[in-house]
Amino acid sequence: MKSNKAKPGALKKTMPLLILAVPGLLYFLINSYFPMFGVFIAFKDINYAKGIFGSDWVGFNNFTFLFQTSDAWIMTRNTLLYNLAFIVFGTICSIFIAIIMYELVSKIYSKLFLSGLVLPSLISMVVLSLLVFAFLNADSGFINHSILRPLGIPEINWYSEPKYWPYLLVIIQLWKTAGYGSIVYFASIAGIDKSIYEAAKIDGAGKLKQIRMITLPLLKPTVIILCLMSIGKIFNSDFGLFYQVPLNAGALYSTTQTIDTYVYRALMQLNDIGMSAAAGLYQSLVGFVLVLVVNAIVKKINSDNALF
Amino acid sequence: MKIFKKTMTLLLATALCGSLLAACSSSEPSKANSNGSSGGSSSEKVEKIVFAMPSFNRIPDDLSVVTDAINKITVEKIGVEVDFRVYGPADYAQKVNLALQSGEKMDVFTTLGQFTSYVSKNQVYPLDDLLPQYGKEMLAILEQDFGADLLEATTMNGHVYGIPVNKGMSLPPSFVYNADMLKEVGFTPNDIQSVDDLQKIFEAVKRKYPDVVPFGPINVNPSDTGLMHLLKADNQVDFLTDTTGIGVVIGNDGKVVNFYETDAFKKGVTMVRDWFNKGYLQKDASTTTVLFSEMIASGRGFAFMGGYSGMESAKALSAQMGKNVEMKRIAPYYFDTNAVNLVSWMVNSTTKAPEAAVKFLNLLYSDKDLINTILYGIEGVDYVKVGEHHMKLPEGKDANTVSYTAMLSTGIVGSESLQYQLEGVSWSDVELKLKENKETVRSPYFGFIFDQSKVKAQMSAVNNVVNQYLPGLVTGTLDPEIAIPKFVDALNDAGAQTIIQNKQEQLDQWIAAHNK
Repeated sequence: MKSNKAKPGALKKTMPLLILAVPGLLYFLINSYFPMFGVFIAFKDINYAKGIFGSDWVGFNNFTFLFQTSDAWIMTRNTLLYNLAFIVFGTICSIFIAIIMYELVSKIYSKLFLSGLVLPSLISMVVLSLLVFAFLNADSGFINHSILRPLGIPEINWYSEPKYWPYLLVIIQLWKTAGYGSIVYFASIAGIDKSIYEAAKIDGAGKLKQIRMITLPLLKPTVIILCLMSIGKIFNSDFGLFYQVPLNAGALYSTTQTIDTYVYRALMQLNDIGMSAAAGLYQSLVGFVLVLVVNAIVKKINSDNALF
Repeated sequence: MKIFKKTMTLLLATALCGSLLAACSSSEPSKANSNGSSGGSSSEKVEKIVFAMPSFNRIPDDLSVVTDAINKITVEKIGVEVDFRVYGPADYAQKVNLALQSGEKMDVFTTLGQFTSYVSKNQVYPLDDLLPQYGKEMLAILEQDFGADLLEATTMNGHVYGIPVNKGMSLPPSFVYNADMLKEVGFTPNDIQSVDDLQKIFEAVKRKYPDVVPFGPINVNPSDTGLMHLLKADNQVDFLTDTTGIGVVIGNDGKVVNFYETDAFKKGVTMVRDWFNKGYLQKDASTTTVLFSEMIASGRGFAFMGGYSGMESAKALSAQMGKNVEMKRIAPYYFDTNAVNLVSWMVNSTTKAPEAAVKFLNLLYSDKDLINTILYGIEGVDYVKVGEHHMKLPEGKDANTVSYTAMLSTGIVGSESLQYQLEGVSWSDVELKLKENKETVRSPYFGFIFDQSKVKAQMSAVNNVVNQYLPGLVTGTLDPEIAIPKFVDALNDAGAQTIIQNKQEQLDQWIAAHNK
């Protein structure tokens, strides 16, 4: 009896929070959960006369094209390593920016700089690819024309030299996303209790020591959650970054091919939804497994920081 | 825990509501469709079809006037009401595919090179039973303008699945150049007889105009110098309906080979490599995003290669680039199946009104009024007729200010012999194109269509490899001595041999069936 009475009260308490969550939940339901129903398309040979449900089952045939060539290794390696680099360097840069901004004395300046740093993430990849092209163009690009040529260094044909692109892509991605990523860390730092810093100051800790002993340890949970979420998408890549920015140059495939660009290039002419569904399913499954594994590891080391 | 349960119930309820709403909204359009075939003046029932056309012109927001004009013709002549849709070239295929995949009404549509893919996915309706009854005039004009063998290019497994657009199909490889520059360096068009004559001209241009790039790609992203087009025509190569170049037959020996392993390919790319090394092409020719026609327009480029029908295309190019551009044919053309079925009109396999669709197609190829209304709009408003075969835009209007025109779609719709030509284009050029349709050499395997469905995985992998190497090879940026072996290895690694074997089997069967 007692517990029955307690229920409505609990609901009443959580109701405002639930209502707040409704738009987000609806978004996930419509965009992520309903479409999951279509997973079976990955195992079908779609035939329009027979319809989606009537088409023949083909088992894992749709998946074979992903592993058809030695490209499978290259694109998987590229996707994984690039995303690892983005996660590691992205986190470091974002935290660095957040701390610097927070330590800025003038709050007006810190807001101003932060807005400026967020700006690149608003630029579309297509526009960005043209900005990059203005730098790297073989004849009239800024780097060849205004830096290498006056210095007498032999010019570089950027769009046919794969070896430079791992660095270029990481730099471009950091320039675009680090500012935006720093917002979450900035908010976390702002949420740290001021009295801890004051106590540290009284004990004689300098700025650097405060950052090392207070800010960074307290940021750890945020870092872990954000990393776990990025790891879930480690098999996906930003299509714009890997397709538009290198201008789809064939010579660069060995360092710019990722799973997404491979699927796009391979299926652009075939237009086969079964095979594209298979590729999507493969990426999601591997991402899901990775999240479980990493979470398990985190749990083992420090169960408080694990996601679930 | 109890809170959790409550939350779950709430969530489930939301989910249910959501799906109910979704179900409601999705049932609406189908209702609207079912009572769509009402109205019409004649006693016979008027059938409705959807017809989608790509247009390279500005697409007006309101198509109702031209749609009414089209319907006036079609309702009166064949009792069919047309829902006329016009999409830009960039999103045409996407809009059509979306309609086909979602089951939206879409009856008559075309494709730019994806014919086989539509057929192998059962997306198109076999027309052979309907054509003799409803397509008589169309069959007659196709035979008259091209030859009775035209529909072989769209026949698979004994069924006709599409109607190729009826136009000048022969696209002889041509050398397109800035005529003033050619004169300045002391050559005449007669000095250009074959591709071998180009080297000395490039050299002269390079010497006289050090800032001008003598040669460049006709298309970019991926870069295409027209070399494959030339090699195909020069060596009589049948690509056997897939554009990758894996599995072609050279001449008539019936043996399917990988074109990239042949001496013909090597000779071609070695020649371009030589041009590249001598500085006739830009250093970034394989990745440039600037069309070479723009280079010519700005006076920084000299020439490119491409396939053009008729003799008068140079006029349009001159107007486009603002330079005195001429062209010279450097090889005869060669018809394989792909050259003919590249643009084909098809009927959706799930159409409710196949007869109406075929009746409409029949009119689309054989009715002068309908064709010209679709292309140029309303006479007197959107265009003015000049003489028997020509039209011009109304005084003071151009293609962007006139209320409707699709004049750049002339190569996509209907029969060229019934289209009005833009004033100034000589009618004899149309006649020449039709003559060449009949005279151009056909590949012995003309009509063979490769069914890719068994080697889809290999095809997708091979596409990737071709994208990786071919632009570099045809622009000379890659050294053929090193790149071709790597290219061929990568192709074999991607399953090229399986494709070739599969193709050979299908071709052997086709030959056996054809010679019966």
